[in-house]
Amino acid sequence: MAGANREAEERNAEAADRTSAVVLTSKLRKEFESLVAVDDVDLKIRRGLLYGMIGPNGSGKTTLIKMLVGLLRPTGGKALILGERIPIAENISRIGYMPQEMAIYTDLTVHENLELFAELYSMSKESFETREKGLLKIIDLADRRDSLVSHLSGGMRHRASLACALIHDPEVVFLDEPTVGVDPELRVGFWKYFADLRARGKTVIMTTHYMDEALRCDVVGMMRLGRLIGEGAPKDLMERTATTDLESAFMTMARKVDA
Amino acid sequence: MNWRRILAVAKKNLQSLRHDRRTVGFLVAMPLFMIAIFGYTFGGSVENIKVYVVNLDQTPQDESVAAAIIADLQTRNTLKIVRSFGPEDAATDPVELGREKVESAEIWATIFFNETFTQDAMRVVSGETGLPAFIRVIEDGTNPNIAQAIGNEMLSAVRSVLGVSSFATPIAISPELVYGEDARFIDFFAPGVMGLAAMMVTFMLAIMSFVHERSAGTLERLLSTPVTEGEIVAGSALAFGLVGLGQSIVIILTAVLLFDIQIIGSPVLVLLVIFLFGVGNQGLAFLLSSLAKTEFQAVQFLPIILFPSLLLAGVFWPLEAVPELLRPVSSVVPLTYCVDALRSVMIRGWGAGDILFDLGILLLFAAVMLGLSAYSLRKRR
Repeated sequence: MAGANREAEERNAEAADRTSAVVLTSKLRKEFESLVAVDDVDLKIRRGLLYGMIGPNGSGKTTLIKMLVGLLRPTGGKALILGERIPIAENISRIGYMPQEMAIYTDLTVHENLELFAELYSMSKESFETREKGLLKIIDLADRRDSLVSHLSGGMRHRASLACALIHDPEVVFLDEPTVGVDPELRVGFWKYFADLRARGKTVIMTTHYMDEALRCDVVGMMRLGRLIGEGAPKDLMERTATTDLESAFMTMARKVDA
Repeated sequence: MNWRRILAVAKKNLQSLRHDRRTVGFLVAMPLFMIAIFGYTFGGSVENIKVYVVNLDQTPQDESVAAAIIADLQTRNTLKIVRSFGPEDAATDPVELGREKVESAEIWATIFFNETFTQDAMRVVSGETGLPAFIRVIEDGTNPNIAQAIGNEMLSAVRSVLGVSSFATPIAISPELVYGEDARFIDFFAPGVMGLAAMMVTFMLAIMSFVHERSAGTLERLLSTPVTEGEIVAGSALAFGLVGLGQSIVIILTAVLLFDIQIIGSPVLVLLVIFLFGVGNQGLAFLLSSLAKTEFQAVQFLPIILFPSLLLAGVFWPLEAVPELLRPVSSVVPLTYCVDALRSVMIRGWGAGDILFDLGILLLFAAVMLGLSAYSLRKRR
């Protein structure tokens, strides 16, 4: 009886997770031949959060995100995005993704890039036009709308790439290092926009190398050697490790895992 | 399959081109350059065409019209008479020997005057008969340029001997083609150049664009949107097929306006063949792009693809001229079927029903390449 009750409870909990959790993974795993890139990661990211992923290069952040957006097939475990198993088909247009390498067409203009993505997401012409206008203002490229991307500076390209990921107003957006090469002034603008997204109930999941950015996230996940070694609000993480900055907190967590 | 997304992918590819004026210039200039080079190279006069002359004319040498014509031919170097036969050789059947030499491509033609040649010609002059004396020319028509030069040379020799320039000469030249159509060389090679140009352009543009998409991550990014593998492949095929088509229109206009090429069959059918072939080539480029990590590596595929097509697909010489050992290669090179179809439509004036086999092979080529492309994308996940 007790066992049956517990099972029922678990089922209820899982059902509740499905509705509140935007990302839910259990023992998610990706192996490339002999390399374990993502090692049994359990993630639960609630709706409306700013979730930051930190960790050194090669710790599995990008691989994890690629699995979550359906570009890589996991070799183990399972993952639910917006309540659907990946690789996702039904809700793929509710997800936005900005890869690390920018990946927009440098031989097209900013507008043509945005239009391409809008078409692929089957947006109506009117909603595209309003979205485009708003986004171009936020990324400060309104006057470069018809410039070829190859004529833009690195930071501008990054901003254009971000706009492509957001053009269809996704519910959850995965940003792989969105602020690399973006100057401090504009980064402030980005963060205002991320806060605005959160206020509208959107979920932003990003990787970052800047600790001051990680501090602004609601929840930080620490990745190392494919494992999630710590997760929590930045303040909690520092308290738990008795440190005053996230870098030290990461080091302490890493040592604990090694021991 | 969603048409809107397919069109979005196609439009993206065409927009990229629009911003790249140099490439568009290349698209237009390359076929013009090719057709001009080939047109002028092969359009010039030819010299030292190897022939046999068989003169069985019984009339004594100093009165023989045949002998006079032969002597006239020898004053110029268009024809090079490598061997002559006289009436005394009649027993050895020199005509048959000459035919064999033409068939084995050792000589271009055998020129034959029969026993009664001078008498026949004289009977026309005296009004006894309207039937002219015939000079039989057994020739290899593989290269229409050479065949035409032989014909012109014979005609001018006859006219210079008889001193007439009217059409009603008592002597007629009767060509017997061993190989080849009765076509000018430019008519013969224009379909080949069209197929070749379409192949080079669609293949080059497509492989460059796909390698760039792979290395820049845009292909992967597209796959993170609702667009499917099949839609990406279909959209690209549409775009590059259209590019090949646009280029073919340039070639056809050049060929017709500048070089007076005749297109006897339907130009729409010509374009359809090019479109199908272009789609297949971009599929091949898509597949090979997964093997190249940089644009530089992609360029290295070009000679591998280009040379078998250039040499073995019947662009410049007929498939019969391809060595036996390499014939199987000819039959797996798609350009062979494209060129054959184009030649049948443009020179023979055949319709779609007559080139069903070629169309089928090209359709199969396109379908297999597109299918494999979509599959290769799927496997990456």
